[in-house]
Amino acid sequence: MNIRVRNLAFAYEDFSLRVGELRFEAARVTSIVGPNGAGKTTFLKCLGGILPVPRNCVFVDGRDFATLKGREKARLLGYVPQEHDSAFNYQVMDFVLMGRASYISPFALPSREDARAAEEALDFVGLGRYGARAISELSSGERRLALIARSLAQESAILLMDEPTTFLDPRHETELLNLVRKLAREKQKTIVVTLHGLEMAVQYSDEMVFMKGGEVVASGPPGDIFKEPLLESVYGMKIRIFDFEGRKIIIR
Amino acid sequence: MSGPSDKKKRALALALLILPLVAFVVSLGIGTYPVSPRALVWVLTHPGASAPPEGVSPAVRDVIFKIRLPRLILGLAVGAALSISGAALQALFKNPLVNEYILGISSGSAVGAALSLVFLGRGFPPQVASFVFAVIAVGAVLLISGKAETHSISLLLTGIIVTAFFSALLSLIEFFASPYVLQALFFWLMGSLSLASWKDLYISVPLIALGLVFLVMLRWRFNVLSMSEEEAKSLGVNVRREKILVIAAATLVTSAATSVVGIIGWLGFIVPHLVRLMFGADNRRVVPLSAALGASVVIIADDLIRGLSSFEIPIGIFTSIIGIPVFILLLKKARKVWL
Repeated sequence: MNIRVRNLAFAYEDFSLRVGELRFEAARVTSIVGPNGAGKTTFLKCLGGILPVPRNCVFVDGRDFATLKGREKARLLGYVPQEHDSAFNYQVMDFVLMGRASYISPFALPSREDARAAEEALDFVGLGRYGARAISELSSGERRLALIARSLAQESAILLMDEPTTFLDPRHETELLNLVRKLAREKQKTIVVTLHGLEMAVQYSDEMVFMKGGEVVASGPPGDIFKEPLLESVYGMKIRIFDFEGRKIIIR
Repeated sequence: MSGPSDKKKRALALALLILPLVAFVVSLGIGTYPVSPRALVWVLTHPGASAPPEGVSPAVRDVIFKIRLPRLILGLAVGAALSISGAALQALFKNPLVNEYILGISSGSAVGAALSLVFLGRGFPPQVASFVFAVIAVGAVLLISGKAETHSISLLLTGIIVTAFFSALLSLIEFFASPYVLQALFFWLMGSLSLASWKDLYISVPLIALGLVFLVMLRWRFNVLSMSEEEAKSLGVNVRREKILVIAAATLVTSAATSVVGIIGWLGFIVPHLVRLMFGADNRRVVPLSAALGASVVIIADDLIRGLSSFEIPIGIFTSIIGIPVFILLLKKARKVWL
């Protein structure tokens, strides 16, 4: 399933987002990068229908996303927020089950099938044994995985993730990005992810989108666009890129 | 996943669901007028006008049907109503400090019922005005706290302000009420089951039952609704619509209860916390079990009131005086975080 963006405009009080033409394809990882305040998260929330976008801006498989009901949106597209913070300490399994909300009538309880989908999702992210634990007992890396599992239980073809690697140590960051890639390769998901770490973004993305001041300044495969002049203009500082065993190292 | 502790919990949950029924039957035999178990069984199995057997006073039938039965049914309904709305509102506002009292629903209901009593008299059902004013109060809280309603501080502050305003209105009504009305008003306001009559029941109990069924059916949904608004939205929930429905149901049951027994504070706050302490956060358990525990607590508290003293301490005062220390004790004892 793909997402197509056409002349999307969204404004806050002192910030405006404008995106002309952009496509996100199935089975690919697209990362959105750029400095703080560039509008990455706003863009992601517009794509996810969390912020109210006007009609004829965002199309999922050709269908105007703004015209769909909440339930329909959730079945097509999952949104993984940066952090989960709740006053209530649910068990991990109950938390992941919430991903099934769009399949369950408000007056019904989750079925066996829903429970199975949630268990599978937990297994896929490697938290299979943690179902009975409380969310508060998880480390921050595990909590990110639980959030991803909840979106997987949604069984949507598209996954949007807002800075899933922030505050993770290098090992957990790598593991999480491997998982993201696996989701694209094995489950054919369309994945859009905002990232801060450029080196990891280059390594794990099939496509990159550079944003600055609410606009997209460049997009395409990293091999084509990941160049020093672009980085310097986006971040407003001197940046050198070195190749090391086929990987990009950034010196600033 | 279902270890031994899970089985134990399930048994405990089942026991808690049956508790209101047991408490109800036992309570029928408790009170100033002694009713033996034999007499109780006879009355319940012979609701008609047949003559009582030897050793059973004919007055027993009146005591049971005219006094205790309405009182107990009302107690069950009120306890369930206040506790379930507490549980529902806490989940909805993602805030364990919220309950129907904090959101102004209780004082709004009280003002409505008091106005009804003063201006429309005893003949007119107080439930109507009670619901209308409860809606005004909670609507004011939500409008004033506005977009910031998910920020707990501003919601709580607004709730306190609106509650204070409606309490002042209530004092004003009391100030102008005639001494005769004032006495009834005063006793009712402190939360009392002693005035229970079938007339009150006919209106309030069906309303409460309606709201209860609605909220219990939504029990799993409350898990999703307790997520941040963005999360709930991304999970496919029409947050605005469901929020309004839940608030309406909680307001309905609270006003139906408050209009006949006055304000019983703390119940809607303490009971859901106790249930979470015992069973965890999952609202599939918290919501129905809060109703069951709340119903039981109210009629057991009422038994104690009737059993301990010959005069009637209003139950609202009683639940606060007993409930708060119990709650503090449990808080101290429970090492684990349950919120």
